[in-house]
Amino acid sequence: MSFWTQTIEIARIDLRVERRLGDTLRIVLPFAVVALLVFPLALGIELAVISRIGPAVFWALGILFGMQVALRQSVTDSQERRDLHALAGVDPAARFVGRIISGGVLMMVFLLVLFLAMVLLYGPALPEGSWSTMLISSALFSVGLAELGTLAGEVTTGLRNRTALASLIVAPLALPLVIGASQSLEALSRGTGILTWVLLMAVTDLTLAVVGVGLARPLEEATR
Amino acid sequence: MTRIRVLFGVAAAAMAVGLWFALTAPPDTLQGEYSRLINIHVPSLWLAFLAFGLTALGSIMWLWKQKQHWDRLASASAEIGVLFTAIGLFTGMVWGNAVWGRAWDWGDPRLTTTAVMFFVYLGYLALRNAVDDPLVKARRSSVLGAIAVVQVPLVYFSVNLFRTLHQTQSIRPDGSTMPSEMLVAMLINVAAFTILYVALMAARMDIARVEEMSREPGTLAGDAIKAPKLNEVKDV
Repeated sequence: MSFWTQTIEIARIDLRVERRLGDTLRIVLPFAVVALLVFPLALGIELAVISRIGPAVFWALGILFGMQVALRQSVTDSQERRDLHALAGVDPAARFVGRIISGGVLMMVFLLVLFLAMVLLYGPALPEGSWSTMLISSALFSVGLAELGTLAGEVTTGLRNRTALASLIVAPLALPLVIGASQSLEALSRGTGILTWVLLMAVTDLTLAVVGVGLARPLEEATR
Repeated sequence: MTRIRVLFGVAAAAMAVGLWFALTAPPDTLQGEYSRLINIHVPSLWLAFLAFGLTALGSIMWLWKQKQHWDRLASASAEIGVLFTAIGLFTGMVWGNAVWGRAWDWGDPRLTTTAVMFFVYLGYLALRNAVDDPLVKARRSSVLGAIAVVQVPLVYFSVNLFRTLHQTQSIRPDGSTMPSEMLVAMLINVAAFTILYVALMAARMDIARVEEMSREPGTLAGDAIKAPKLNEVKDV
């Protein structure tokens, strides 16, 4: 099996497991929408404020709940499954890239639905070109968070406090992604270019991809 | 041990010289005596960058060579880096409170990105604490140590990337924007703090080596006592 065949197969299996478990779309997504409802209630019903903070709340919830998507149960391999992958000769780098694809797809769906919910509930004044900017930002944000989640999930495999520890690792490291994504919409509102912010996210994604693929084998050994 | 004592002695002398320069340099016209904080704030954060850079180097070298001393270098440097980041953050907040009227100003992205960098390395140390086996600890933390360093350029260039209250770099390729007396005092303190960092690193790496040796299975109390063989026991 070639590298890409393995990668696609891993991603396909992950997405199929996720479809059966439904962690992301049946649990995390409704929870995030509830959180969208909580903010205006906590702030007080002031429509101008709610409308202004909408995009910022969206990205804040995107990172917090996105971590749950990235660290979802369906990508936690048991020792037996890891051994099976090793015996079957699955390339650790292919496993990493496959995880990013499946995580990225799920994250993208999650963010798009959450964005629609935010637009509906908060009614923000979105400048022209917001939807295309949002699509580009979400794609880059999703890939980056999936990469970070996969890496953090791997280094914390089998640890007692895995979920909390992995979140502590992912949240601060995702800063360039949050800044890039939130500032790109902000830049659009100000009428300045979004290229700097898109580049920031793209460079972060690329760096994480290179590091992840390069370290996939040592990581595989580390978690045995 | 003598080597470490000498290093700490040199560091103490250098810090004393640095303190003298910091207190005798003329204060800033606008900021007054608070401007002297630059002699702690800048060296602390310079050391944090250096420490996290060495953590990344130690992590990458461990992944390449798999020698335990690279892991000791990475972990010791991260611990000291976290300490100096905390000092840098604290002095920045005191300074900000005096100059901007607020200890934490969201208009200063360097403050925020530095705080985030602090938490990245707290996560690194938490990961190390969560694993007992030294080899597994080194393998896992080296991966994180190699990734976490991406935060350092983000902190450094945050003042150029965003509109900010924080001043941009004072020392640039085309010269310095600071008066020479203040610049000399700051550079002497940077040197003094760097010597302190070297001393702390040497001490921490020695402690880590002793900790590793203590984990190795050695002679247990009572090992010298052997159970009597039955055919050697004479009837009394």
